[in-house]
Amino acid sequence: MKRRWIVGLALVALGAASAQTVVRLQGFGGNDTAIISSLVREVVNPALLKDNIRAEYQGVEGDYRAALLNALSAGTAADLFYVDIFWSEPLFASGRVEPLNRYFTQQELSVFNRNLLNAFTLRGNVYGLPKDFNTLAVQFNRDLFDEAKVPYPNQTDTWDTFKDKLKRVQAAVKDVAGLCVVADHARFGAFAYATGWRPFNAQGRTVLDANFRRAFEWYTSLVKDGAGKYAQDLGEGWTGGCFGAERAAVAIEGAWIGGFLRDKAPNMRFGTTLIPLDPITKQRGNFIFTVSWSMNAASRNKDAAAKVLRALTSPEAQNWILSRGLALPSRSALANSPIFQRPGKENELNRVVFQGSTNVGGAVLPFKFGSLDGGEWMRPINEALLAVITGKKSVDQALADAQAELNRLVR
Amino acid sequence: MLRSQRIEALYALLFLAPFLIHLGVFFVFAFARTLGFSFTDKTLIGQSYQIVGFANYVQLFQDPRFIAALTHSVSFMLIVTTLQTFLALSMAAILNQRLRGITFFRTVYYIPSVLSSAAVTVIAIWFFQKTGFLNTFVGWIGSVAPVLLAFLAIFVLAQALQVGWERMRGLPVTFTDPALATISLAVGLALTWLLAALGVVVPREAQPPEFTWLTNSDRFLGVPIPLWSIIMLNTFTTIPTLMLIFLAGLQDIPKSIYEAAAIDGASPLQQFFSVTVPMLRPVTFLVITLSLIGTLQMFDQVALMGDAAPLDSIIVLAYYVYNNVFSGEGRVGLASAAAIILAALTFAIVLLQRALGISEKAH
Repeated sequence: MKRRWIVGLALVALGAASAQTVVRLQGFGGNDTAIISSLVREVVNPALLKDNIRAEYQGVEGDYRAALLNALSAGTAADLFYVDIFWSEPLFASGRVEPLNRYFTQQELSVFNRNLLNAFTLRGNVYGLPKDFNTLAVQFNRDLFDEAKVPYPNQTDTWDTFKDKLKRVQAAVKDVAGLCVVADHARFGAFAYATGWRPFNAQGRTVLDANFRRAFEWYTSLVKDGAGKYAQDLGEGWTGGCFGAERAAVAIEGAWIGGFLRDKAPNMRFGTTLIPLDPITKQRGNFIFTVSWSMNAASRNKDAAAKVLRALTSPEAQNWILSRGLALPSRSALANSPIFQRPGKENELNRVVFQGSTNVGGAVLPFKFGSLDGGEWMRPINEALLAVITGKKSVDQALADAQAELNRLVR
Repeated sequence: MLRSQRIEALYALLFLAPFLIHLGVFFVFAFARTLGFSFTDKTLIGQSYQIVGFANYVQLFQDPRFIAALTHSVSFMLIVTTLQTFLALSMAAILNQRLRGITFFRTVYYIPSVLSSAAVTVIAIWFFQKTGFLNTFVGWIGSVAPVLLAFLAIFVLAQALQVGWERMRGLPVTFTDPALATISLAVGLALTWLLAALGVVVPREAQPPEFTWLTNSDRFLGVPIPLWSIIMLNTFTTIPTLMLIFLAGLQDIPKSIYEAAAIDGASPLQQFFSVTVPMLRPVTFLVITLSLIGTLQMFDQVALMGDAAPLDSIIVLAYYVYNNVFSGEGRVGLASAAAIILAALTFAIVLLQRALGISEKAH
C-alpha cells in the first residue's frame, strides 16, 4: 500500500515537472553566468513558481555576437537573449527579434529610463528591455596624485586643466603615465560629443568637421605633450588595465572597472569624477553603454518568456543586482535608491557613472551608430587616432583618410 | 557480379562509411552549399534571400579590404613557405647527425609545434610590444655590445695566435680546432672579465628601440609590419613539424650513396646539394604542398591578434571570410564568394606547383 502511494506521488511529481515551461536565457559568459544564474535562482524562479515557469541561463563564452547570430540563423537561439546596443539595429531590422509592445503596456514600459528604452526602439517598436547600463567617468588614484602633490581631478575641470594635472603627475612620479590613451572612439567619442559634434548630421552623413577636429587634436596631443602614454606601448589594451597596475594615474571607464579593481588592486584608494568639460562649449559628452533582454521571434514560449522578462527587470531583480554593486538599474525610480548615497569608493563610482546618464552628463548618446555595425563605423576613426598617436600621420592626413573611408561606408 | 563479390563490396562500403559520411557532410555538402550561397545575397539574420548571379564576386574585387586580404594572403604564402622549407630542411640536416645527446636537441626544437597556437599568439603579442621582450632584448644587446665585441676580438686573436704557433711547429691544425678553441674561450672570458673589472670595457646604457611591431602601419618589402610579426610567429611554430617530415625523409636515404659520393671526393656541401636535396624531392613536394595550403588558410593567428594590430594591416583571406559572416548583418553570400575564391586559389597554386616541376618522384 505504502509503495503504491510513493509510486503515485512520483507520477504526479513527474507530470508536474513535465508540464513546467522552461524558458531559456542566453547572454555573456564570465561573471554574467554566475550573476544571472544566481538572480534567476533567487529572484526570478521563485516569482514564477505559481505560473509553473522555470528560467535557465546559459552564458556564452567567447564571441557572443557570433554565437547569437549563428543560433538565430540556425533556429537554435534561446527564448530571451542579450542584445548589445552596439550592434542592435541591424538585428532588430531583420525581423528575428520579437517586438515587445504586444506583451507590455505603455505604463509598464514607462518605468524604464527613457533614454535607454529609446535606444532599443526602432520604428515605434520596442525590441528589448534595458537590462542595465553604464556611462564613462574619470577614475583617479588618490595616492599617485598625493605623491605628485597635484590636486585631484574634479567636475569643474576643463580639458585644459585636466590635461595640465595629468602632465604634472606624469612628470612627478617615475614610471607612471597620466592616462593610458587608447585609440578608440568608445573613449574619444565622449570628448567629440562635448564639442557639439554628432556622428551623423541632418543628412545622415558622417562629417569630421571643425568641432570633431578640435576634440581629435586635444585627445591625440595627450601622448605628445606628456600627459599620457599610448596604452599598447605599456602592454595594455584599455585605460583600466594601466590604472589597475598603477602605471597610470587616471582611467576613463564605466562602473565595470569596479569589479576589476576589486580583484586587481583591492587596496587602491581611488576616486571618481565626471568627464572634463570642453573649455569652449562648457559641456561634457558621454556614451550610454547598454544591453537589452530581447525575445526570439521564433520562440515557442513567447507568453512564458514575457513573464520571465517581466521578472528579470522587476524592481526586486534590479534591487538585487544594485545592492550587490553589480550593475546600474534601468528603472528610473531606482535613481533615488539610498544605495547610491552610501559611502565608499565603489558606491561613489556607481553614483558618478549613474549621474553621467543624467543632465549633469551633458551630451549623452547611446553607444550605437545608426543602422551600421558599430565596429565598422568606428574603424576609420580608430585608425586615424592610432596613426596620429603613434606619429605615423599628421592630423590633416589622418582625418582626410578617415573621412574618405566614412564617405564610402555611410551612404 | 558473384554473390561473394557483392558481399565483399558491401563490406568495403561499410568500412569506408564513417569516412565517406564525414566527407559527405563536412566537405561535399558544405562546399556545395557555400558555392550555392556565393550566388545569393543571403545574410545570417535575414529571413529570405535572392539569387544575384556573380554580383558578390564583382563586389569583392571592388572592395579594397578584399584586395588587401588577397595580397596579404599571397605574400604570406610565398614568404612563409620559402622560409619554412629552407629552415626546416637546414635544421633537419643538422639534427640528422650522429652526435651524443642529439635526441635532446630534436626534442627541444620540436617543442614550438606542441604549443597551442592561442598561447603562442598571446605570448607573441607581449613579445612584439613596444616595451616587450624583443625590443628590450635588442636594447640589451646594444648596451653590452662593447663587452661582447671585446670578448669576440680576444677570442679570435687567441685562436689565431695558437693556430699560428702550432702551424709553425709543423702541426696540421685547422682554424676551428676544438681543443685550441676551448683554451681561447677561457682566455677570452678571463681577459674580458679583467677589462670589465678594470673599467676599460663597460656596458653602455640600454636604449631599447622605439620600433613598434603591431601598431605600425608602415610596410617592409610591400608587406605591412604587423603581418611580418605574424610571418615570424607562424614560421617559428610550423618549422618543427616540417622538420620532422624532412628528418624522416633523410633517414630513408641509403648511407651507401653518401659513402660512394665521399669516395668520389665530394665535400659535405656537395653531398648535401647533389645527394640529399634530389633524394628528398618527394618529401619536399609534400612539405611545400602542406605549407602552401596551410599558409593560405592561416586564420587563428590573425583572429587572436584581434585589436592588438590594425585589421587592415593583418587581414588575410580566411579572416576576411570570417569577418564578413560575423559583422553587421552577417554577409553570408559575400563571404561564401570569398571562400570559393580562396579554395580556387589554393587549388590553382598546388596545380601550378606540380606543373613547375617540384614533383613527387625522386631523381
